[in-house]
Amino acid sequence: MVQFQPDAADETSVHLATSRGLDAEPETATPPAVWTKGLTRRFGKSVAVDGLDLTIAPGEFYGLLGQNGAGKTTTIKMIVGLLRPTAGTAGIGPFDTWEQPLEVKRRIGVLPEEFNLYERLTGAELLDFTAAMHGLPQREATERRDELLALLDLEGDAAKLVADYSRGMRKKVALAAAIIHRPSVLFLDEPFEGVDAVSARLIRRLLRRYTEQGATIVFSSHEMHLVERLCTRIGIMEHGRLTMEDTPEGLCRRMGVETVEDAFIAAVAGSDDKDGPTWLGASPG
Amino acid sequence: MVGRLAWLKTRLLWNGLRSDLQRRIGFPVAIVALGAGAWYLAGRYTEIMETLSPPAARQFALWGAVALFAVWVTLPVVIFPLDENLDPARFALAPVSRWRLATGLGVSALIAPSVVVPAILLGTNVAVLAPTTTLPAAVAASLLLGVQMVVVGQLFSTAVSAVLRSRRGRDLAVFLIMGIGLAGFAAQATVARVVGRVGLEQAALSHPIRGWMTLLPPAAAQNVAVATGWVGSLGSAIVAVTWIFGMGWMWIRLLDWMLTTPGQSPRPNRAARRNGMAGWGWGIRRVLARKELRFYLRDPRQRLVWTGAVIFVGLAAASILVGTGELAAFRRQDWLPLAAPGLVLFVGLPIALNQFGWERNAASYLFVLPIRPRSMLMGKNLATFGALMVETAVLAVALAALSGGWANLWLVAPLAICSAALQLAVGNLVSVLTPLRLPREGTDVFAQATEQGCLAIASQIASFFAIGMLLVPPASVTVLTVAFGRVVSPWVASGFAVAWGAAFYLVSIWLSGILLRRRLPEVVQWVQVS
Repeated sequence: MVQFQPDAADETSVHLATSRGLDAEPETATPPAVWTKGLTRRFGKSVAVDGLDLTIAPGEFYGLLGQNGAGKTTTIKMIVGLLRPTAGTAGIGPFDTWEQPLEVKRRIGVLPEEFNLYERLTGAELLDFTAAMHGLPQREATERRDELLALLDLEGDAAKLVADYSRGMRKKVALAAAIIHRPSVLFLDEPFEGVDAVSARLIRRLLRRYTEQGATIVFSSHEMHLVERLCTRIGIMEHGRLTMEDTPEGLCRRMGVETVEDAFIAAVAGSDDKDGPTWLGASPG
Repeated sequence: MVGRLAWLKTRLLWNGLRSDLQRRIGFPVAIVALGAGAWYLAGRYTEIMETLSPPAARQFALWGAVALFAVWVTLPVVIFPLDENLDPARFALAPVSRWRLATGLGVSALIAPSVVVPAILLGTNVAVLAPTTTLPAAVAASLLLGVQMVVVGQLFSTAVSAVLRSRRGRDLAVFLIMGIGLAGFAAQATVARVVGRVGLEQAALSHPIRGWMTLLPPAAAQNVAVATGWVGSLGSAIVAVTWIFGMGWMWIRLLDWMLTTPGQSPRPNRAARRNGMAGWGWGIRRVLARKELRFYLRDPRQRLVWTGAVIFVGLAAASILVGTGELAAFRRQDWLPLAAPGLVLFVGLPIALNQFGWERNAASYLFVLPIRPRSMLMGKNLATFGALMVETAVLAVALAALSGGWANLWLVAPLAICSAALQLAVGNLVSVLTPLRLPREGTDVFAQATEQGCLAIASQIASFFAIGMLLVPPASVTVLTVAFGRVVSPWVASGFAVAWGAAFYLVSIWLSGILLRRRLPEVVQWVQVS
């Protein structure tokens, strides 16, 4: 059976160098699993991420929320090394993404919002490929592949091309590819979109167990009930800045509302009383 | 709808120019280059027409119309189009009739730099051919010919796209394209031979093609108008209009089928279905190479690139078998197999010079994996090298069989290694510095991506010359083993060729690895299709 436990090597306490822009810590301090320091990204005149300082501890299930265009995906792209920051830096554990990219990439798994997978590989080939690129021995890779495919109910479709998968199946195979090497930090961008209820429950259980084993999950979603059920801490981004950060309960308490959804709307929109254009109220032609 | 699609095409063109410096430079350059080429052809056409008698000139004009028509219709299929086409799939849900959609797409196809060529040539033809009395008829016929070229061109490329949607069709398409290439070459060779034997005047008069003109009625209409007056050309004009509507109807039917029928994905072979990536070695470079090899077969565009070798084999064989003069002399040269690496050089270029462009959006998947940039390049190179070697071997054996040059066949191996190494050496640097953005997977195989800049294309052309220059020393030394007194030992030449290729490759892989490590996010941004 697949053991959803992150690689032990990543859990060791490591000294953090102040030269990498982090505050000085004692020799034995456990570094944050994910961190950013003054992370900034500008596209021309617009600022997508504006001096973001973020610290996520090991074992946290961190929900990164924000309206469309708030800068969530841009932030994740900069942390994993796909987008160069205009200023500031980011890293995983003791490693700086822009100074030790390979060390960072060995420790992360990414489920992107867009399905930028290899569509012309079969599901099994995609998992094999990913495992090989992470340096897993062939036998172990094959075992993990078969177990993940069985677990995610993709066994019967393993020989089909990813191009022929449904949206939900693509999400599942992408998730399997993101965890096959047991990363210590998992970035999930809308992981439940298009996934059926049975698989969604299975994935939730799997992810919860994964964090219990010490892994860190950074989770970006617009499905607030899932954020509320899964996340141990939530950060709300607005215009590229982290405007609020708390536990789900703390967030609700602060905003004086019952649910995370209400708290989020109150935090970013102020009110939800817009009725839309009047012509939409007329009977359709 | 017609106006809106034309506006859309114009707007896309304009926005592309505004947002991209490369396009701002490339667009006028393309127009000037195409215009200059068309002007040269028009000048040659005028000169020739002046030397011919009126009956021969009219025949020659018909031949010219056939050639222009055939080139316009088939060229976008044989080589990828220069223009950015509107994708009909985007308008599948638009509340508009298919006729109006087709007319709009046809008109918008005219908003492209390549239109300069038929405009100049058809205009020249009218000016040269028509006396004042029949000028309106000649102009009308030229316009009809232009419309027919657009409609049949669209029908033809849509038909080939339709063929490419099925698994079998993708295999057949290779032969279709090879057939077009071979037919074009054979036609050129035949015409050259006949003209060389009896002269152009006699060739035109002794080979009337009025019978073929049922396929090109506007040209016939123009011809009749010039010979007998505009009244006589009315019959051909009516046939032309009917013809255009018929072709238009077929295009619309095909378009309708394309918009409602999904394409077939390639089916992985049995071993891949059973074993995934297991077997044939494990490790980053080897698995990456096998992923690339799978894409060579499964991505229709890459498959077309690699099967271009079949076209080259065919053309090389045709050049030698039916060619005249120097080409035919090659048949007797026992060093002919040594030409194989040079020919295969053309085949691998679109892949070797754009290794990350082919990743498209999956580049972001590849680049979050913990692979050293050098290993990434070497894995990709391994696949390209393997494919180049196989294609060179096939072509070299074919050329050895043709020329009887079996004794020199072994020398192909070191020269091919050198040639592939130099191609990859230049290719790695170009791939990292100026990757070329390709259209999203699954889009029409003949569509171009937006924002494909001229810098990438220019760097690809320049790198082709660079590879050629680098190949000169080892190729020259190898030639000295089979000709010019055979003053160099084949073993020395082989060693030199391999060492030369290896030296450049090693320097390039070291440099490209460093550059890729520094430019990784930029490469991702550049190859991603929105």
